[in-house]
Amino acid sequence: MIFSKKEEKETYTIEKCVSCGNMIKRKFKTGDFLFKETNECQSCKGKIIIEKIFAETIKA
Amino acid sequence: MDFANFDIDQIFGMGDDTNPLLWLIWIIPIVIFMFYGQRIQLQVTSGDIRKNIEKLKQLKEESRKELIGYIQKELKPKSDPTEKLDRFINYFTIMPVDMDPNGIIPKVRHIMRSREEHTRSQVKAIFSDIDTLEVTKVQNLLEIATTLQLLYKIVNHLFLTAKKQNNYPLILPLQMILPFIMEEADALKGAIPALKDGQPIGDGIGPMVVGKMMLGTQKQKVTFETVWSQTEHDGRKLYLLKAEGPLATVGRPGDAVEQIVSQNKPDAIIMIDAAVKLEGEDSATIAQGFGAAIGGIGADRFQIEEIATKNNIPIFAIVIKQSIKEAITTMTKEIADKADVASSQLYEMITEHTKPGQSVLVVGVGNTLGVSQ
Repeated sequence: MIFSKKEEKETYTIEKCVSCGNMIKRKFKTGDFLFKETNECQSCKGKIIIEKIFAETIKA
Repeated sequence: MDFANFDIDQIFGMGDDTNPLLWLIWIIPIVIFMFYGQRIQLQVTSGDIRKNIEKLKQLKEESRKELIGYIQKELKPKSDPTEKLDRFINYFTIMPVDMDPNGIIPKVRHIMRSREEHTRSQVKAIFSDIDTLEVTKVQNLLEIATTLQLLYKIVNHLFLTAKKQNNYPLILPLQMILPFIMEEADALKGAIPALKDGQPIGDGIGPMVVGKMMLGTQKQKVTFETVWSQTEHDGRKLYLLKAEGPLATVGRPGDAVEQIVSQNKPDAIIMIDAAVKLEGEDSATIAQGFGAAIGGIGADRFQIEEIATKNNIPIFAIVIKQSIKEAITTMTKEIADKADVASSQLYEMITEHTKPGQSVLVVGVGNTLGVSQ
Protein backbone atom coordinates (compact mmCIF):
# COMPACT_ATOMS: atom_id res chain seq x y z
CA MET A 1 0.00 0.00 0.00
CA ILE A 2 1.22 3.47 -0.85
CA PHE A 3 0.40 4.99 2.54
CA SER A 4 1.28 2.04 4.77
CA LYS A 5 4.23 2.62 7.08
CA LYS A 6 6.88 0.05 7.81
CA GLU A 7 7.06 -0.48 11.56
CA GLU A 8 10.21 -1.54 13.31
CA LYS A 9 9.90 -3.07 16.74
CA GLU A 10 12.38 -3.82 19.49
CA THR A 11 11.75 -6.15 22.39
CA TYR A 12 12.72 -4.99 25.87
CA THR A 13 13.04 -6.70 29.23
CA ILE A 14 12.22 -4.93 32.49
CA GLU A 15 14.03 -6.28 35.54
CA LYS A 16 12.77 -5.36 38.99
CA CYS A 17 14.24 -5.83 42.46
CA VAL A 18 11.69 -7.59 44.66
CA SER A 19 13.01 -5.80 47.80
CA CYS A 20 13.68 -2.18 46.79
CA GLY A 21 11.60 -2.00 43.59
CA ASN A 22 14.55 -0.73 41.54
CA MET A 23 13.86 -1.20 37.82
CA ILE A 24 16.19 -1.65 34.86
CA LYS A 25 15.16 -1.60 31.20
CA ARG A 26 17.37 -3.47 28.75
CA LYS A 27 17.11 -5.19 25.36
CA PHE A 28 15.61 -8.69 25.36
CA LYS A 29 18.11 -11.57 25.41
CA THR A 30 17.32 -15.13 24.30
CA GLY A 31 16.53 -17.15 27.41
CA ASP A 32 14.64 -14.33 29.15
CA PHE A 33 11.19 -15.18 30.43
CA LEU A 34 8.79 -13.53 32.86
CA PHE A 35 9.49 -13.94 36.59
CA LYS A 36 12.90 -15.49 35.93
CA GLU A 37 15.41 -14.69 38.66
CA THR A 38 18.33 -12.95 37.00
CA ASN A 39 20.74 -11.12 39.31
CA GLU A 40 21.26 -9.72 42.75
CA CYS A 41 20.31 -6.07 43.25
CA GLN A 42 23.39 -3.81 43.25
CA SER A 43 21.96 -1.48 45.88
CA CYS A 44 20.12 -3.77 48.35
CA LYS A 45 21.35 -7.27 47.41
CA GLY A 46 17.72 -8.30 46.90
CA LYS A 47 16.39 -10.74 44.34
CA ILE A 48 15.89 -9.34 40.82
CA ILE A 49 13.22 -10.90 38.62
CA ILE A 50 12.05 -10.18 35.09
CA GLU A 51 8.88 -8.13 35.57
CA LYS A 52 7.90 -7.44 31.96
CA ILE A 53 8.88 -8.35 28.41
CA PHE A 54 7.33 -6.26 25.65
CA ALA A 55 7.76 -4.99 22.11
CA GLU A 56 7.95 -1.26 21.42
CA THR A 57 7.75 0.50 18.09
CA ILE A 58 11.02 2.33 17.49
CA LYS A 59 10.37 3.61 13.95
CA ALA A 60 7.01 4.25 12.36
CA MET B 1 -18.65 30.22 -20.96
CA ASP B 2 -22.37 30.82 -20.97
CA PHE B 3 -23.96 28.25 -18.67
CA ALA B 4 -27.44 29.70 -19.10
CA ASN B 5 -27.59 28.95 -22.81
CA PHE B 6 -27.15 25.21 -23.35
CA ASP B 7 -29.20 22.69 -25.30
CA ILE B 8 -30.15 19.60 -23.34
CA ASP B 9 -30.86 17.64 -26.56
CA GLN B 10 -27.34 18.28 -27.73
CA ILE B 11 -25.83 17.08 -24.48
CA PHE B 12 -27.70 13.75 -24.58
CA GLY B 13 -27.39 13.43 -28.36
CA MET B 14 -31.14 13.47 -28.96
CA GLY B 15 -31.39 16.32 -31.42
CA ASP B 16 -32.15 15.85 -35.15
CA ASP B 17 -28.72 17.10 -36.16
CA THR B 18 -26.88 14.76 -33.71
CA ASN B 19 -23.69 13.17 -34.84
CA PRO B 20 -24.31 9.34 -34.98
CA LEU B 21 -20.78 8.83 -33.71
CA LEU B 22 -21.69 10.62 -30.45
CA TRP B 23 -24.75 8.41 -30.17
CA LEU B 24 -22.60 5.30 -30.56
CA ILE B 25 -20.26 6.49 -27.79
CA TRP B 26 -23.28 6.35 -25.45
CA ILE B 27 -24.83 3.15 -26.63
CA ILE B 28 -21.79 0.86 -27.14
CA PRO B 29 -20.60 0.86 -23.50
CA ILE B 30 -24.17 0.18 -22.37
CA VAL B 31 -24.37 -2.84 -24.67
CA ILE B 32 -20.90 -4.04 -23.60
CA PHE B 33 -21.75 -3.72 -19.90
CA MET B 34 -25.10 -5.47 -20.45
CA PHE B 35 -23.51 -8.58 -21.93
CA TYR B 36 -20.00 -8.57 -20.49
CA GLY B 37 -20.39 -6.58 -17.26
CA GLN B 38 -19.88 -9.57 -14.97
CA ARG B 39 -16.83 -10.75 -16.92
CA ILE B 40 -15.25 -7.30 -16.70
CA GLN B 41 -15.94 -7.18 -12.97
CA LEU B 42 -14.46 -10.69 -12.66
CA GLN B 43 -11.28 -9.54 -14.41
CA VAL B 44 -10.93 -6.43 -12.23
CA THR B 45 -11.57 -8.38 -9.00
CA SER B 46 -9.32 -11.22 -10.14
CA GLY B 47 -6.30 -8.95 -10.33
CA ASP B 48 -6.67 -7.92 -6.70
CA ILE B 49 -7.33 -11.45 -5.49
CA ARG B 50 -4.40 -12.83 -7.48
CA LYS B 51 -2.07 -10.36 -5.73
CA ASN B 52 -3.32 -11.53 -2.32
CA ILE B 53 -2.94 -15.19 -3.33
CA GLU B 54 0.65 -14.48 -4.33
CA LYS B 55 1.21 -12.88 -0.93
CA LEU B 56 -0.37 -15.88 0.82
CA LYS B 57 1.90 -18.20 -1.16
CA GLN B 58 4.90 -16.14 -0.13
CA LEU B 59 3.82 -16.17 3.53
CA LYS B 60 3.32 -19.94 3.61
CA GLU B 61 6.67 -20.55 1.93
CA GLU B 62 8.46 -18.16 4.29
CA SER B 63 6.88 -19.79 7.36
CA ARG B 64 7.97 -23.22 6.10
CA LYS B 65 11.51 -21.97 5.46
CA GLU B 66 11.66 -20.33 8.90
CA LEU B 67 10.51 -23.56 10.58
CA ILE B 68 13.04 -25.74 8.73
CA GLY B 69 15.78 -23.13 9.24
CA TYR B 70 15.07 -22.87 12.98
CA ILE B 71 15.15 -26.65 13.43
CA GLN B 72 18.32 -27.13 11.42
CA LYS B 73 20.20 -24.18 12.92
CA GLU B 74 19.10 -24.23 16.55
CA LEU B 75 18.02 -27.78 17.36
CA LYS B 76 20.46 -30.02 15.48
CA PRO B 77 18.18 -32.85 14.24
CA LYS B 78 19.37 -36.45 13.75
CA SER B 79 18.91 -36.17 9.97
CA ASP B 80 17.42 -33.75 7.41
CA PRO B 81 13.84 -33.20 8.67
CA THR B 82 12.54 -31.41 5.52
CA GLU B 83 10.59 -34.36 4.12
CA LYS B 84 8.98 -35.18 7.47
CA LEU B 85 8.11 -31.55 8.15
CA ASP B 86 6.52 -31.20 4.71
CA ARG B 87 4.37 -34.20 5.55
CA PHE B 88 3.33 -32.64 8.90
CA ILE B 89 2.52 -29.32 7.20
CA ASN B 90 0.10 -31.13 4.90
CA TYR B 91 -1.72 -32.91 7.74
CA PHE B 92 -5.47 -32.37 7.77
CA THR B 93 -8.13 -32.86 10.42
CA ILE B 94 -11.56 -34.28 9.69
CA MET B 95 -14.06 -32.94 12.20
CA PRO B 96 -16.74 -35.29 13.56
CA VAL B 97 -20.14 -35.51 11.87
CA ASP B 98 -22.42 -32.77 13.25
CA MET B 99 -25.77 -33.91 11.82
CA ASP B 100 -26.53 -35.24 15.29
CA PRO B 101 -24.66 -32.78 17.54
CA ASN B 102 -25.41 -34.67 20.76
CA GLY B 103 -22.12 -35.81 22.27
CA ILE B 104 -19.96 -34.10 19.64
CA ILE B 105 -17.68 -32.27 22.12
CA PRO B 106 -15.89 -35.40 23.46
CA LYS B 107 -15.38 -36.48 19.84
CA VAL B 108 -13.88 -33.09 18.89
CA ARG B 109 -11.65 -33.20 21.99
CA HIS B 110 -10.54 -36.72 21.15
CA ILE B 111 -9.62 -35.84 17.56
CA MET B 112 -7.77 -32.66 18.57
CA ARG B 113 -5.87 -34.44 21.35
CA SER B 114 -4.94 -37.34 19.07
CA ARG B 115 -3.61 -34.88 16.52
CA GLU B 116 -1.69 -32.92 19.17
CA GLU B 117 -0.18 -36.05 20.73
CA HIS B 118 0.78 -37.52 17.37
CA THR B 119 2.46 -34.27 16.26
CA ARG B 120 4.32 -34.06 19.58
CA SER B 121 5.68 -37.58 19.30
CA GLN B 122 6.62 -37.03 15.64
CA VAL B 123 8.46 -33.81 16.52
CA LYS B 124 10.32 -35.57 19.35
CA ALA B 125 11.30 -38.37 16.96
CA ILE B 126 13.20 -35.90 14.75
CA PHE B 127 15.70 -35.24 17.55
CA SER B 128 17.79 -37.46 19.75
CA ASP B 129 17.56 -35.01 22.62
CA ILE B 130 15.14 -32.08 22.86
CA ASP B 131 13.64 -30.25 25.85
CA THR B 132 9.92 -29.67 26.33
CA LEU B 133 10.15 -25.91 25.67
CA GLU B 134 11.62 -26.51 22.22
CA VAL B 135 9.05 -29.23 21.45
CA THR B 136 6.21 -26.80 22.21
CA LYS B 137 7.87 -24.05 20.17
CA VAL B 138 8.29 -26.35 17.15
CA GLN B 139 4.68 -27.52 17.54
CA ASN B 140 3.45 -23.91 17.45
CA LEU B 141 5.67 -23.06 14.46
CA LEU B 142 4.35 -26.14 12.69
CA GLU B 143 0.79 -25.04 13.46
CA ILE B 144 1.51 -21.65 11.83
CA ALA B 145 2.99 -23.24 8.70
CA THR B 146 0.04 -25.68 8.46
CA THR B 147 -2.55 -22.93 8.87
CA LEU B 148 -0.91 -20.70 6.24
CA GLN B 149 -0.71 -23.67 3.87
CA LEU B 150 -4.41 -24.39 4.43
CA LEU B 151 -5.42 -20.73 3.95
CA TYR B 152 -3.48 -20.58 0.69
CA LYS B 153 -5.02 -23.81 -0.60
CA ILE B 154 -8.60 -22.78 0.24
CA VAL B 155 -8.33 -19.25 -1.21
CA ASN B 156 -6.61 -20.54 -4.34
CA HIS B 157 -9.26 -23.23 -4.78
CA LEU B 158 -12.14 -20.75 -4.50
CA PHE B 159 -10.45 -18.35 -6.91
CA LEU B 160 -9.62 -20.96 -9.53
CA THR B 161 -13.13 -22.43 -9.34
CA ALA B 162 -14.69 -19.00 -10.00
CA LYS B 163 -12.28 -18.38 -12.88
CA LYS B 164 -12.87 -21.82 -14.37
CA GLN B 165 -16.63 -21.36 -14.29
CA ASN B 166 -16.29 -17.72 -15.39
CA ASN B 167 -18.73 -17.04 -12.58
CA TYR B 168 -18.57 -13.58 -11.00
CA PRO B 169 -20.99 -14.22 -8.09
CA LEU B 170 -18.77 -17.14 -7.02
CA ILE B 171 -15.86 -14.79 -6.48
CA LEU B 172 -17.86 -12.30 -4.37
CA PRO B 173 -17.75 -14.22 -1.04
CA LEU B 174 -13.99 -14.64 -1.50
CA GLN B 175 -13.57 -10.91 -2.19
CA MET B 176 -15.52 -10.11 0.98
CA ILE B 177 -13.66 -12.51 3.28
CA LEU B 178 -10.16 -12.03 1.83
CA PRO B 179 -9.18 -8.93 3.90
CA PHE B 180 -9.90 -10.90 7.10
CA ILE B 181 -7.93 -13.89 5.85
CA MET B 182 -4.99 -11.65 4.94
CA GLU B 183 -5.10 -10.00 8.37
CA GLU B 184 -4.93 -13.42 10.01
CA ALA B 185 -2.16 -14.58 7.66
CA ASP B 186 -0.08 -11.47 8.42
CA ALA B 187 -0.60 -12.00 12.14
CA LEU B 188 0.48 -15.64 11.87
CA LYS B 189 3.64 -14.66 10.03
CA GLY B 190 4.31 -11.97 12.64
CA ALA B 191 4.09 -14.58 15.41
CA ILE B 192 7.13 -16.52 14.16
CA PRO B 193 9.91 -14.31 15.66
CA ALA B 194 8.21 -14.26 19.09
CA LEU B 195 7.90 -18.05 19.06
CA LYS B 196 11.49 -18.59 18.00
CA ASP B 197 12.81 -16.30 20.75
CA GLY B 198 10.39 -17.53 23.42
CA GLN B 199 8.90 -14.06 24.02
CA PRO B 200 5.53 -13.63 25.77
CA ILE B 201 2.70 -12.93 23.32
CA GLY B 202 -0.42 -10.78 23.83
CA ASP B 203 -2.49 -13.90 24.53
CA GLY B 204 -0.19 -14.55 27.50
CA ILE B 205 -1.63 -11.68 29.57
CA GLY B 206 -3.94 -14.03 31.53
CA PRO B 207 -1.12 -16.42 32.47
CA MET B 208 1.04 -13.35 33.25
CA VAL B 209 -1.45 -12.03 35.83
CA VAL B 210 -1.96 -15.45 37.45
CA GLY B 211 1.74 -16.41 37.13
CA LYS B 212 2.70 -13.35 39.20
CA MET B 213 0.17 -14.33 41.88
CA MET B 214 1.70 -17.82 41.93
CA LEU B 215 5.21 -16.56 42.75
CA GLY B 216 6.37 -17.95 46.08
CA THR B 217 3.62 -20.58 46.25
CA GLN B 218 3.94 -24.36 46.02
CA LYS B 219 3.21 -25.26 42.38
CA GLN B 220 1.78 -28.65 41.45
CA LYS B 221 1.05 -30.27 38.11
CA VAL B 222 -2.68 -30.84 37.76
CA THR B 223 -3.00 -32.12 34.17
CA PHE B 224 -0.82 -32.18 31.09
CA GLU B 225 1.26 -28.95 30.87
CA THR B 226 -0.99 -27.28 33.46
CA VAL B 227 -0.06 -26.20 36.99
CA TRP B 228 -1.93 -24.93 40.03
CA SER B 229 -1.17 -23.62 43.50
CA GLN B 230 -2.97 -22.26 46.56
CA THR B 231 -2.74 -18.90 48.27
CA GLU B 232 -4.94 -16.59 50.34
CA HIS B 233 -6.38 -13.13 49.89
CA ASP B 234 -8.42 -11.22 52.44
CA GLY B 235 -9.61 -14.38 54.18
CA ARG B 236 -10.48 -16.15 50.92
CA LYS B 237 -8.70 -19.27 49.71
CA LEU B 238 -7.48 -18.87 46.12
CA TYR B 239 -6.78 -21.77 43.77
CA LEU B 240 -4.55 -20.44 41.01
CA LEU B 241 -4.40 -22.24 37.68
CA LYS B 242 -2.45 -21.67 34.47
CA ALA B 243 -0.59 -23.50 31.72
CA GLU B 244 2.95 -24.51 32.62
CA GLY B 245 5.28 -21.68 31.65
CA PRO B 246 7.48 -20.75 29.99
CA LEU B 247 6.36 -23.45 27.53
CA ALA B 248 4.51 -22.44 24.36
CA THR B 249 1.30 -24.10 25.49
CA VAL B 250 -2.24 -23.34 26.62
CA GLY B 251 -2.30 -26.47 28.79
CA ARG B 252 -5.53 -28.31 29.43
CA PRO B 253 -7.68 -25.85 31.40
CA GLY B 254 -10.88 -27.85 30.90
CA ASP B 255 -9.53 -31.00 32.54
CA ALA B 256 -7.74 -28.97 35.22
CA VAL B 257 -10.86 -26.98 36.22
CA GLU B 258 -12.89 -30.20 36.33
CA GLN B 259 -10.35 -31.80 38.64
CA ILE B 260 -9.94 -28.82 40.98
CA VAL B 261 -13.69 -28.18 41.18
CA SER B 262 -14.48 -31.81 41.98
CA GLN B 263 -11.82 -31.90 44.71
CA ASN B 264 -12.17 -28.44 46.27
CA LYS B 265 -15.65 -27.12 45.33
CA PRO B 266 -14.74 -23.43 45.00
CA ASP B 267 -17.48 -20.81 45.49
CA ALA B 268 -16.60 -18.89 42.33
CA ILE B 269 -14.50 -19.21 39.21
CA ILE B 270 -12.74 -16.18 37.73
CA MET B 271 -11.15 -16.45 34.30
CA ILE B 272 -8.65 -13.95 32.90
CA ASP B 273 -8.00 -14.04 29.18
CA ALA B 274 -7.13 -11.95 26.15
CA ALA B 275 -10.11 -11.12 23.93
CA VAL B 276 -10.23 -9.91 20.35
CA LYS B 277 -11.20 -6.22 20.38
CA LEU B 278 -13.95 -4.86 18.21
CA GLU B 279 -13.09 -2.28 15.54
CA GLY B 280 -13.02 1.13 17.18
CA GLU B 281 -12.15 -0.26 20.61
CA ASP B 282 -8.81 0.68 22.13
CA SER B 283 -6.13 -1.94 22.58
CA ALA B 284 -5.30 -3.08 26.11
CA THR B 285 -8.63 -2.02 27.60
CA ILE B 286 -9.92 -4.22 30.39
CA ALA B 287 -13.50 -5.43 30.56
CA GLN B 288 -15.32 -7.51 33.14
CA GLY B 289 -18.17 -9.90 32.50
CA PHE B 290 -19.79 -13.23 33.13
CA GLY B 291 -19.18 -16.65 31.63
CA ALA B 292 -16.18 -18.74 30.67
CA ALA B 293 -13.56 -16.51 29.03
CA ILE B 294 -11.72 -19.03 26.90
CA GLY B 295 -11.25 -19.30 23.15
CA GLY B 296 -10.22 -22.20 21.00
CA ILE B 297 -12.45 -24.76 19.38
CA GLY B 298 -14.92 -24.79 22.30
CA ALA B 299 -14.15 -28.13 23.95
CA ASP B 300 -12.53 -26.57 27.06
CA ARG B 301 -15.25 -23.93 27.38
CA PHE B 302 -17.92 -26.60 27.21
CA GLN B 303 -16.16 -28.64 29.91
CA ILE B 304 -15.79 -25.63 32.24
CA GLU B 305 -19.41 -24.52 31.72
CA GLU B 306 -20.60 -28.08 32.32
CA ILE B 307 -18.77 -28.54 35.64
CA ALA B 308 -19.69 -25.03 36.85
CA THR B 309 -23.37 -25.60 36.05
CA LYS B 310 -23.39 -29.01 37.75
CA ASN B 311 -21.91 -27.51 40.93
CA ASN B 312 -23.82 -24.22 40.70
CA ILE B 313 -20.63 -22.14 40.68
CA PRO B 314 -20.78 -18.64 39.12
CA ILE B 315 -18.16 -17.87 36.47
CA PHE B 316 -16.78 -14.33 36.19
CA ALA B 317 -14.45 -13.05 33.48
CA ILE B 318 -11.82 -10.36 33.07
CA VAL B 319 -10.63 -9.80 29.51
CA ILE B 320 -7.87 -7.65 28.09
CA LYS B 321 -8.83 -6.47 24.60
CA GLN B 322 -6.40 -6.69 21.69
CA SER B 323 -6.26 -7.26 17.94
CA ILE B 324 -5.60 -10.69 16.41
CA LYS B 325 -2.08 -9.57 15.53
CA GLU B 326 -1.37 -8.29 19.05
CA ALA B 327 -2.69 -11.56 20.52
CA ILE B 328 -0.19 -13.76 18.71
CA THR B 329 2.85 -11.51 18.38
CA THR B 330 5.22 -10.25 21.11
CA MET B 331 3.23 -8.58 23.89
CA THR B 332 3.00 -4.81 23.40
CA LYS B 333 3.99 -2.36 26.15
CA GLU B 334 0.37 -1.19 26.46
CA ILE B 335 -0.82 -4.74 27.18
CA ALA B 336 2.08 -5.57 29.53
CA ASP B 337 1.41 -2.35 31.50
CA LYS B 338 -2.18 -3.48 32.09
CA ALA B 339 -1.15 -6.64 33.98
CA ASP B 340 -1.11 -4.82 37.34
CA VAL B 341 -4.44 -3.09 36.63
CA ALA B 342 -6.03 -6.45 35.73
CA SER B 343 -4.55 -7.92 38.89
CA SER B 344 -6.08 -5.23 41.12
CA GLN B 345 -9.45 -5.62 39.35
CA LEU B 346 -9.21 -9.35 40.00
CA TYR B 347 -8.65 -8.84 43.76
CA GLU B 348 -11.53 -6.37 43.81
CA MET B 349 -13.75 -8.92 42.05
CA ILE B 350 -12.77 -11.60 44.57
CA THR B 351 -13.74 -9.44 47.56
CA GLU B 352 -16.95 -8.22 45.89
CA HIS B 353 -18.27 -11.64 44.91
CA THR B 354 -17.16 -13.83 47.80
CA LYS B 355 -17.17 -13.68 51.61
CA PRO B 356 -14.24 -14.41 53.94
CA GLY B 357 -13.85 -18.16 54.41
CA GLN B 358 -14.98 -18.93 50.86
CA SER B 359 -12.74 -20.05 48.02
CA VAL B 360 -12.17 -18.92 44.43
CA LEU B 361 -10.62 -20.66 41.45
CA VAL B 362 -8.63 -18.16 39.36
CA VAL B 363 -7.74 -19.33 35.85
CA GLY B 364 -5.18 -17.53 33.68
CA VAL B 365 -6.17 -18.56 30.16
CA GLY B 366 -3.89 -18.33 27.12
CA ASN B 367 -0.58 -19.35 25.65
CA THR B 368 2.01 -19.10 28.41
CA LEU B 369 5.08 -18.82 26.16
CA GLY B 370 7.76 -16.89 28.02
CA VAL B 371 5.61 -16.61 31.17
CA SER B 372 6.69 -18.72 34.14
CA GLN B 373 5.06 -18.88 37.56
